[in-house]
Amino acid sequence: MTTPTTTRSPSDAPTGGSAPAPNAVESTWRRMLSGSWVGIVVATALLFALSPIIAPGSLGAAPLLSMLPFASVLAIVAAGQTLVVQQRGLDLSVPGMIALAAVLSTGLPQNYGWPLWAAVIAGIVGPGIVGLVNGILVTYFRVMPLVVTLGMNAVLLGTVFFVADGTPSGAPAALNGFALDRTLGIPNTLLIAVVIVVIAGLVTQRSIIGKRLTAVGVSERAAAALGIRVNAYQMFAYAFAGLCYGAGGVLLAGYTKTPALFLGDSYLLPSVAAVVLGGTALTGGLASVVSTGIAALFLTQLGQLLRSVGWQDALQLIAQAVVLIGVVLLRELVPGLLRRRAAHRASSRESPPA
Amino acid sequence: MTNSDLYDVATVSGDAATTTADANAARNFGPTVLKLDGIVKTFPGVRALTDVTLDVLAGEVHALVGENGAGKSTLMAVASGALAPNEGTVQIGGAPLTSASPDEARELGLGIVRQDPALLPDLTVAENMAVGVGYKRVGGLGRAVAWSQRQLDGWEMGIDAKTRVIDLSVEQRFIVEIAKALALDPKVLILDEPTEHLSLEEVQKLFRKVRELVAGGTAVVYISHRIPEVKQIADRITVLRDGQVRGTFDADEVDESQIVERVIGRKLETVFPEKGSATGSVGADDRLAVTDLHSDEFHDITFAVKAGEIVGLAGVQGNGQTQLIRALAGLEPTTGTIAVGGTPISNGSNAAASAAGVVYVPADRHGEGVFLPLSVGDNIAAKTLPKVSRGGMVSERRIVQTAVEQIKRLAIKTPSPRTPISSLSGGNQQKVVLARTLLAKPTVLLAEEPTQGVDAGARVDIYRILRDAADSGAAVVILSSDGVELEGLCDRVLIMSRGSVVQELVGEEVSEAAIARAALTSTTVRERTDADKSARGVKLRRWMRGDQSPAAVLGAIFLLLGVVVAATNPSYLGAFNINNLLFMAAPLLFVGAAQQVVVLGSGFDLSVGPLMGFLVVLASYWIVDGGNLYVGIALMVAGAIATGVINGFLVTRFTINPVVVTLATYMALQGIYLALRSTPGGIIFGPIADQIQARIGIVPVVTIVAVVVLLVLEFALRRTRWGVELRGVGSRIDAAGRLGIKVKRTQFFSYVLCSFLVLPAAVIMMAQIGIGDGRPSLSYTLSSVTVVVLAGASIFGGRGSFIGILAAAFLVQQVLNVSPFLGLSQAWSYWLPGLITLAAAVLYAQLRRTRRRKRAVAGIPREPRTPIASPISSEGSAS
Repeated sequence: MTTPTTTRSPSDAPTGGSAPAPNAVESTWRRMLSGSWVGIVVATALLFALSPIIAPGSLGAAPLLSMLPFASVLAIVAAGQTLVVQQRGLDLSVPGMIALAAVLSTGLPQNYGWPLWAAVIAGIVGPGIVGLVNGILVTYFRVMPLVVTLGMNAVLLGTVFFVADGTPSGAPAALNGFALDRTLGIPNTLLIAVVIVVIAGLVTQRSIIGKRLTAVGVSERAAAALGIRVNAYQMFAYAFAGLCYGAGGVLLAGYTKTPALFLGDSYLLPSVAAVVLGGTALTGGLASVVSTGIAALFLTQLGQLLRSVGWQDALQLIAQAVVLIGVVLLRELVPGLLRRRAAHRASSRESPPA
Repeated sequence: MTNSDLYDVATVSGDAATTTADANAARNFGPTVLKLDGIVKTFPGVRALTDVTLDVLAGEVHALVGENGAGKSTLMAVASGALAPNEGTVQIGGAPLTSASPDEARELGLGIVRQDPALLPDLTVAENMAVGVGYKRVGGLGRAVAWSQRQLDGWEMGIDAKTRVIDLSVEQRFIVEIAKALALDPKVLILDEPTEHLSLEEVQKLFRKVRELVAGGTAVVYISHRIPEVKQIADRITVLRDGQVRGTFDADEVDESQIVERVIGRKLETVFPEKGSATGSVGADDRLAVTDLHSDEFHDITFAVKAGEIVGLAGVQGNGQTQLIRALAGLEPTTGTIAVGGTPISNGSNAAASAAGVVYVPADRHGEGVFLPLSVGDNIAAKTLPKVSRGGMVSERRIVQTAVEQIKRLAIKTPSPRTPISSLSGGNQQKVVLARTLLAKPTVLLAEEPTQGVDAGARVDIYRILRDAADSGAAVVILSSDGVELEGLCDRVLIMSRGSVVQELVGEEVSEAAIARAALTSTTVRERTDADKSARGVKLRRWMRGDQSPAAVLGAIFLLLGVVVAATNPSYLGAFNINNLLFMAAPLLFVGAAQQVVVLGSGFDLSVGPLMGFLVVLASYWIVDGGNLYVGIALMVAGAIATGVINGFLVTRFTINPVVVTLATYMALQGIYLALRSTPGGIIFGPIADQIQARIGIVPVVTIVAVVVLLVLEFALRRTRWGVELRGVGSRIDAAGRLGIKVKRTQFFSYVLCSFLVLPAAVIMMAQIGIGDGRPSLSYTLSSVTVVVLAGASIFGGRGSFIGILAAAFLVQQVLNVSPFLGLSQAWSYWLPGLITLAAAVLYAQLRRTRRRKRAVAGIPREPRTPIASPISSEGSAS
């Protein structure tokens, strides 16, 4: 028990040797469960493999073609939600945004005689502007994202009511045709979703903007110390999210032909669930739009499967809630369990080297 | 192993210490009352304490000295049960501390006054003292004010026990913390850097108290890095460096320089590179020129730094140095000119400063310096992304390549560039920050406490790096509380006091002693800015800051709106309309109160709306003609409580984000009631519905009940232990935990109570719609949030009032009722609640911000912002 005076701090040794051997196993698990695409890809592959066993014929062309447009819309919407969650927010204005996009792209041509192209642009840009307003309220006025987006959702629904004058309009035939059409056998909605998700994925994962968005999401203060315009990037995230909701809403309106006024309501929880399933932590920072997109496919296929075995739509809500909580729990518990096991093993192996 | 054995070990290890065990025996101290034996404590990446053994005797003042990051505070956190050691034992008053529990340590007779007082900012001084010393000791909450006032009067600091802690000055808070610790009659009292915030006079007051205590047989552990003070008060001194004990000495037998030598543990010449002013590498032109810079915290700052020059900023903490260096980095708003290379940069813009080549190395490494979850490579490249990218797209390969070069160049110890930086030691993390800084080829390099918490080896490297940066043409400004470091590195040192530069040391004058002298002689008196003390002014201001002022404003708007509308349309005051208004307000009152309960505990519950629908649908199977009323009621109660239990369990047991949990329950409940009744069905038994809608005069009974419930809740919030603890948890969760409040249990029950309060709201809605249908309930989630936001509750928890909820709920219903009278379309029924929520949230956020700014002027640190949208952190981070 001597304390040599010449030693440097032993902290130079990496990690202080607290978890030696099971490190690899643990880190693999952690990577599977958080911030990586591995977990969701495996889960999605499993789900598709099991589908024909649970419900024969559920992987046929007809069911797939009816499922993919909805998965596409969810993927686009969830890409936006991913960006907001990355900035430590949670966007509860998704229903209002989708409804706004739908009502603009259908109501403007029918009630106000706008040309289709202008209505579609309005349907995408409108929610983008609202997203920017959300971002301004969150950054410059320092209001909690949750309160901003919850209040904004009500404002949006009021606007939808106002524009539609209380009754849903039908989508213009061209828009409806485009949303239902296929190019080379692939639904147009899917193509658009892939394009949006890939572009969003590249921008957020591989570009300078994306790296800075990640930095701001991880730590606003550290990003500010680096000279990054924190507020500008956060506003960009909210505005970009708005554009995504807009694109999703327009597609959905086109696909459903006569969209109900509040058709966005059923996309709030799935968008959050897709973000969480995709491995983005709700504490912000590391996020993957592509994983979120795959998670959207997973969730929609799960819904399809449940429907084909006779679950009604109301039960789907319960299933989604259970999946969401289950995944969050899994992510919370497994690393803890592994750590405990590792610590147990380490302590039973007699004092590790100091 | 005996006392003196341990003692010898410690002395031997401190290389040249005399054997003081004999001297100790001669001085008649009492038995050991605090015994730390072989304490080892590691944090991820850092070994904070290595085999530390310490004995504190009754009746002595035992000083613990060491540099920042030497492990003093960590050691005392272990002693007080706030941290569990990895190895080693703690004994207090001869009894072992069996678990890391502040409560147990307190029971055993240990009192601690922390550098960062464990006070709940939104609670009053009296409430804080009641929580801190136990309700029994103060004679219950009712007597807490008088009791606390007695404890505080002796200090003559003008502290009113009814004031909120957040409105106290830093030194007043410290006195409250000390008074709290003393009230427990501890056997051992730990004072952690107690004089940091005190004026000279207050320091002497404190010393008198300490001597009184010691004379009465209490042991005092006095942690400080101010050696002169330590010499004045301590009987024995233990030196801690890099987490190890470097010797224990009798205070009489060592002089200051001997202590300093052990505290620092290195020879100056060997550590520091040669200065630029000595080698002649300082350039001729000013790289950084500051003229007449002003902000809230400093004024009239004018100085210049040449290329190749290192200028130090020194002074006693809290005299504006930190704000100055941050202002240079564009992180604080200022007036005046900052010119880099002759070109002025726009004030208060971090991006403009960065573009001009200003690079800032922050002191708070974990909070501001590094991106903990990101890899070493990403951290190194974070500032110079354009250099590793083409056409805006970043190349991972080039990041790794750059990182590998830097890792080699600065000798950063890391397994790979892809390792998360969180697993590196403090020194290596700091080297990563510096690598990033150097890559940016700074014109001006600002470093705040560059070697804080860094081990000795890395420190040498960091000095070398800073010097090299200067030699390659940067103007370097270093803020450090380490005089030795400034002496060794700086060509010039500016001493700051009360926000201005009071002295400049140049060349040979730059020495640790001169820096310390200049800093201390200029700040012996701290000014106290007492605002007007007229009794009425104070009362009015306290009321304005209080929880009840929004209620009065809302009430006034409520009445005004009613009068205006009634003037244009007399039927607005008709019995039917008033009855309707009051009846419709009742469910709002209940859901608002429900949301308020969770928000007070810094939670959130989105599921209140669908829960109402779910309960109504449950009821619609039994509370029908020929059904069983009691089964129906029992089901509703069970459903409400079960929902609360599930929410509370998931949030507190698994620390899942409350928003996610309650969003999931929101959807699940909605799914359940839609599965049960996809279309409205089950007519609610008429007589029951009528009974619920009964009224006295024009006032519905349920509204009276709701108001009474809210008043009871308000009383409970102010006057019961439940209320104090709920507000305490919401106010500052980590401090609440340290004070022994059962944080998780409190939060769990807040969710259960919330769901339970939704039950009456559901009953009212059931009577109102008269059929089993869940859909109308969804809007109540937004309504509950609107009401809480309007009521002016701090959405971050801790503050709020049910009177405010009362006023806000009536106002919201008034607004909704008014719209048809004003001929507003149905869209307004969505617009109004949404716009009111947004407007109120923006308004209150601005009010809070101006208050925070005012407080910042008074030198009070900002309240920690822990947004509820992040999960409750279960472990406090190591300070």
